[in-house]
Amino acid sequence: MSKESGTVGVAGVSVGAGDEESLRSRLFGDESGLRNVGLGLLGTVAFLLVWHLGALAVGGILLPTPLAVAQAFLTELTAPVTFVLPVLGTEIPATRLPVKLVESLYHYIPGLLIGSVLGIASGVAMGWSGSLDAALTPVTRVLRPIPPLAWIAFAIIWLGVNHNGAAFIVGIGAFWINFYNAYSGVEGVPTDLKEVAASLGVDDDLTMIRKVVLPAASPSIMTGIRTSIGQCWMIVVAAELFGAPGVGFQIINAAQNLSMDVSVAYMLVISAVFLVSDGVFRRVEQNVLEWRA
Amino acid sequence: MSTEEQGVQNAQNAQKVHVDGLGKRYESDRQTVQALQDVNFGVDDGEFVCIVGPSGCGKTTLFRLIAGLEDPTTGAVRLDGTPVEGPGTDRGMVFQEYGLFPWRTVRENVSFGLEEQGVEKAERGRRTSEMLELVGLDEFADAYPRELSGGMKQRVGIARALAVDPELLLMDEPFGAVDAQTRDMLHEELLSIWSETEKTVLFVTHDVEEAVTLSDRVVVMAADPGRVREVVDVDLARPRERTDAEFAEYVEHIRGLIGE
Repeated sequence: MSKESGTVGVAGVSVGAGDEESLRSRLFGDESGLRNVGLGLLGTVAFLLVWHLGALAVGGILLPTPLAVAQAFLTELTAPVTFVLPVLGTEIPATRLPVKLVESLYHYIPGLLIGSVLGIASGVAMGWSGSLDAALTPVTRVLRPIPPLAWIAFAIIWLGVNHNGAAFIVGIGAFWINFYNAYSGVEGVPTDLKEVAASLGVDDDLTMIRKVVLPAASPSIMTGIRTSIGQCWMIVVAAELFGAPGVGFQIINAAQNLSMDVSVAYMLVISAVFLVSDGVFRRVEQNVLEWRA
Repeated sequence: MSTEEQGVQNAQNAQKVHVDGLGKRYESDRQTVQALQDVNFGVDDGEFVCIVGPSGCGKTTLFRLIAGLEDPTTGAVRLDGTPVEGPGTDRGMVFQEYGLFPWRTVRENVSFGLEEQGVEKAERGRRTSEMLELVGLDEFADAYPRELSGGMKQRVGIARALAVDPELLLMDEPFGAVDAQTRDMLHEELLSIWSETEKTVLFVTHDVEEAVTLSDRVVVMAADPGRVREVVDVDLARPRERTDAEFAEYVEHIRGLIGE
């Protein structure tokens, strides 16, 4: 896919517009002008007000005020802790919130990467090969409906309550999402394109997959990756409820100590991380799929 | 081999395409369909031949057999004397729905076949530009297919098929999806490309006027089972006018054969 500087310019414009659109639409759900931004701000302020009043009415621990949450957020952001580098064991002075986020990333990223790669590879293989599809469809039909968290017992006895165990759960989630998107993407590649490619000299499966099937299925594959980026944050939190360290563990741990403000602060961290990672991937997607309208 | 047999052999070899006793039967649990039965005809080198017929006459099946996308049940298709087995770069295909690679720019679509043949980058660029100029799309080289009109897309399809310098250009209702005005223009362009490149063209259509406008000969087919009704030589000077009395006679004759 060429992105030479001399292209029609449609690409540049659409990416530029996309940045603004994604940021604004992430926050306000629409990008049709200033009026909607204003309405979005109004709604946010109203929500915070209702929350605040509600918290005052309920009082104390049951529901923290937005201000208490903001304060807890700042405290967590600045509270000094020592961060021990895994493997190396070096101790580095740091603060709590970023450290918890990094801990979550330690199982989120490997789980997401390995699960996605395996999912895409299996999906492409089964979408491409009719006999592989026929052989494995019964197995995939049975295994797919099992929620990733149902594997927690295996994760614990195989790998333990640690990053590996949590990464395993995240990986299972990423696997199925990417598997089905890649599979349906490959199945949906128009026959015309494969026939044209064959008439233009493509005569082996690998070349056909690389030069025709993968690019044609890429919109579907990209959707799978993006969906899994979001879904895996949900899975991270759930997996950490069982004790693996990270943001999710902080949410439940703080709540058990009745520090609801801290708990909510970490909930918002998940939200922020999701918005950032989704936004970043949207840009990647727009660049990779610039050939689409 | 006797001199006489040699003569027959040479005559066959002079023909670019030789369709010989071609039959195609589709069998399923419930029914058997004889899509084509004993189809015989030849196409000379550099000739423009159209295949017309009612729907269900097997003209698309015939196209697919010649393209090598399906195997015949009986008989064979020979290109320059060699039986066709599977698709290949000796036959360039153009489809009604264009079949362009949407993730590739116009230039990248046209150079696809050259990449597969391992043609060097500089030569590829030169050849691609030449093809784009031939179909009048040099200014849209960096556009993506979605940015093009139907007529432009089909020009890309033609340029892409011609880029690998095939022996035969196979077209399956290539202008079926464009409006009448664009189609007239594309007819003129295709004829000028044809005379410039001296390619042999086999063109499938259901439009009798289109067939008479374009071809040296028209293979008229009939349905149930799909077979050749008659091969009509169109003995008219080009450019042809639809309003001509003779043109109208050809059209009427072929329509009569089809039973329209």
